[in-house]
Amino acid sequence: MRWLPRTYLALVYLLLYVPIIVLVVFSFNDSRTGYSWGGLSLRWYESLFNNHAMVQAMWNSLWLALTAATVSTLIGALTALALHRYRFRGKKVLNGMLFVVMMSPEIVLAISLLGLFLLLGLKLGYVSLLLAHVTFCLPFVVITVMARLAGFDERLPEAARDLGASDFTMTRTVLIPVIMPALMAGWMLGFTLSMDDVVVSTFVSGPSYEILPLRIYSMVRVGLKPEVNALGTLLLVFSLVMLMFSHWILSRSKQ
Amino acid sequence: MMLSIRQQPFRAAVLVLVWGWLLFLVLAPNLLVVGTSVMTRNPGTFISMPLNLDAYRQLFNPLYLEVFIHSLYMAAMTTLVCLLIGYPFAWALSRVEKRRQMLLIFLLIVPFWTNSLVRTYALKLILATNGLLNQGLMSLGIIDEPAQLLYTEGAVIVGLVYLLLPFMILPLYSVFDDLRQDVLLASHDLGAGRFATFKNVIVPLTLPGVLAGVMLVLLPAMGLFFVPDILGGSRNLLVGNVIKNQFLDARNWPFGAAASIMLTVAMALLMFAHRLSKRRLGEEGA
Amino acid sequence: MKKIALAGMLALGLTGCSSDDPQVLNLYNWSEYMPQEVLTRFQEETGIQVVYTTYDSNEAMYARLKLLDESAAYDLAVPSTYYVSKMRNEGLLMPIDKSKISGLDQVDPELTGLDIDPDNQYSVPYLWGTTGIGVDIADIEGEPVTAWEDLWGERFKGRVNLTNDMREVFHVGLRVLGYSGNSTDPQQIEEAYEKLTELMPSVRTFNSDAPRMPFLEGETDVGMIWNGEAVMGKESMESLEYVYPEEGVIAWLDSFVIPKNAKNPEAAHKFISFVLQPEIAALISEDIGYATPVLAARELLGDEVSGDRASYPAAEDMVNAEFQADIGDEALQIYARYWEKLKSGL
Repeated sequence: MRWLPRTYLALVYLLLYVPIIVLVVFSFNDSRTGYSWGGLSLRWYESLFNNHAMVQAMWNSLWLALTAATVSTLIGALTALALHRYRFRGKKVLNGMLFVVMMSPEIVLAISLLGLFLLLGLKLGYVSLLLAHVTFCLPFVVITVMARLAGFDERLPEAARDLGASDFTMTRTVLIPVIMPALMAGWMLGFTLSMDDVVVSTFVSGPSYEILPLRIYSMVRVGLKPEVNALGTLLLVFSLVMLMFSHWILSRSKQ
Repeated sequence: MMLSIRQQPFRAAVLVLVWGWLLFLVLAPNLLVVGTSVMTRNPGTFISMPLNLDAYRQLFNPLYLEVFIHSLYMAAMTTLVCLLIGYPFAWALSRVEKRRQMLLIFLLIVPFWTNSLVRTYALKLILATNGLLNQGLMSLGIIDEPAQLLYTEGAVIVGLVYLLLPFMILPLYSVFDDLRQDVLLASHDLGAGRFATFKNVIVPLTLPGVLAGVMLVLLPAMGLFFVPDILGGSRNLLVGNVIKNQFLDARNWPFGAAASIMLTVAMALLMFAHRLSKRRLGEEGA
Repeated sequence: MKKIALAGMLALGLTGCSSDDPQVLNLYNWSEYMPQEVLTRFQEETGIQVVYTTYDSNEAMYARLKLLDESAAYDLAVPSTYYVSKMRNEGLLMPIDKSKISGLDQVDPELTGLDIDPDNQYSVPYLWGTTGIGVDIADIEGEPVTAWEDLWGERFKGRVNLTNDMREVFHVGLRVLGYSGNSTDPQQIEEAYEKLTELMPSVRTFNSDAPRMPFLEGETDVGMIWNGEAVMGKESMESLEYVYPEEGVIAWLDSFVIPKNAKNPEAAHKFISFVLQPEIAALISEDIGYATPVLAARELLGDEVSGDRASYPAAEDMVNAEFQADIGDEALQIYARYWEKLKSGL
């Protein structure tokens, strides 16, 4: 009976990976139709990089994800610290709001932010995208950092305070190094969420700042475009490299 | 008691930033949606006075109710399939040697690092009439004619399951991981059979994980509008499609807002059920 | 405290403020409705970069333009027939400065001065076309398809494509019942809805991004298609035919308009002039298969294009053809309600 659970696990993993394998294999397919095999070729990668709008959207997306991840990590870390260390009125409300953001369907967040931006007369573009992305990344960073702080020896900051360190100094010299791995993890999470988002971006972006998921969306809706395979493969490779890089940094920081 | 701002400027700055962000970008927008839902549709300015509950009445108009029920049905099927696949999966995963578990969980998350649209598109390659699945089945002689898989309700559910399965597995895994072996042994020693142990011990203990998984799958499954667009042939709409259409096509904002509030209420109910199950478990455990 | 928050906000705002390059033209167009070559050549000639974004229905275009009204997001859009008059009446458009446009005199007089915009104060025709029936003759058996009514046939169960366009789909339903495709009568609309529900089991997909694709992908054999899409589709699938149904095709004229708050109207005018050049207009018509209103361009077209009845219909093809008209918001809401119910597949 021991083989049964393992076979089952293997089967589910297979199902999860088949579409991705198909994607990668077909990105090197010379055939135009996208269904049959027409020999090895890099033509879709070539046509991808010759597509000016696509390359522009790629850079826009990268910049947006970088900034959104950074800002949300910054604010998220501070929020986690505040929730962990300070007692203040409305702490439960704050916690609740973060939880609600995390749980509510993206589309609800999307229309609510659209309403806000329109009311404020904010031009839909980079700034609106950044505000929206930071907002939906925030709770994930907070949770990641909180988890790390939960396992942390409370006496360290007390000792630092007793030695005369100010709140700010103590945070900088004691807490930040402790939560560094969580910050990295939170940042990565934010970066991925931002790169992947379709639902919220559909509502709060304007033509002045087109991002990759929306470009992909319009391409995919038109029909089978082998360039999408190439793009998907590139994105996968890119994120795996990032993942390994962060793993490498984390294992170094542990030593 | 609280220290004054002067004594703790850092603390004050942090709290202002955090509160400011959440009030401005979470609370205010949500209040706006509530406000929009009770206003009147206006073709020129989107919304206008007077206040009324027309949008909510429209929600319960048989016309739309059917759309919502169908959407709910697809989301529920998605959740059920995720649960049926995920429950044994999480159990089997928790049985693997600890060392390997981390790697397996990592492998579960890797697909997430490709854009979800691109993954949905890859499913289209597989499910299409000329797609790989049909080609495979035909060359194996299982079917003679290509089956119509794409642009069906089933295709939408497959797409949703594919995108959301890990969200079901992860919370389930964490409850199975906590499930202590000695509890099961005790149940066995007390003479309970496999089924009785499963029904009376395992199911109640893993219930919070099940509810957490349901929460993480059911709600997004109602909102991911791009899945019916790509795999459902713009049929088999989800609540998410209805909301999107109301805001971006039909320009009936109050109605779109009311539909989105309905989703929020559904979320609140699920969260409440989840808490309840956890609390009951806590009491029984004590 | 407030200052800190303010400073934070400002810092956020500043990082995002990229200087707006004046030499950008934001063009909002139907998907697959402009060859890349035209955009490239325009940029080479004028140095103006075209940011090209797409929509798949007039409703989506209109809603988005209204939404981004104040932020001057688009410089040029391409609404269909009746949306020109709707947007003009609502004051969403900027008058076109005809002195800055060359080639207007070349435009087919039958396509200018229409009711939608009597003096062409706000719009310049881009392309015109029809919505008819696409048939993959290799995949169907029996009688040839000649009418909209034929789509209801038992033999096409699950093989029909419709455009994802509320007005067009209801147009078909209304015409089959013998009503005008521009009906505002709730009774007639409901009848059309009832008629269309009978078609629904046959409908495989709604596609307005590229209605030729379901045919090429083998998902559908018959259904609504735009003439240009049929022409483009025929290039890769010989068996795709365009049929003018007996009840009449849906005719439309897509025109360039400049939104009221456009940031770069100068570039928009330049682009319109560029596209009206006979050589460019011919290139567009050849590439995407729709009919150009530029008369001089038609002479440049090869015989296989100008002689293709799918692109350039003969007089008998246009019998019973009906141009779409603005039907007002009230009727639109009635359509919209039935449309959603229809599409949910119930």
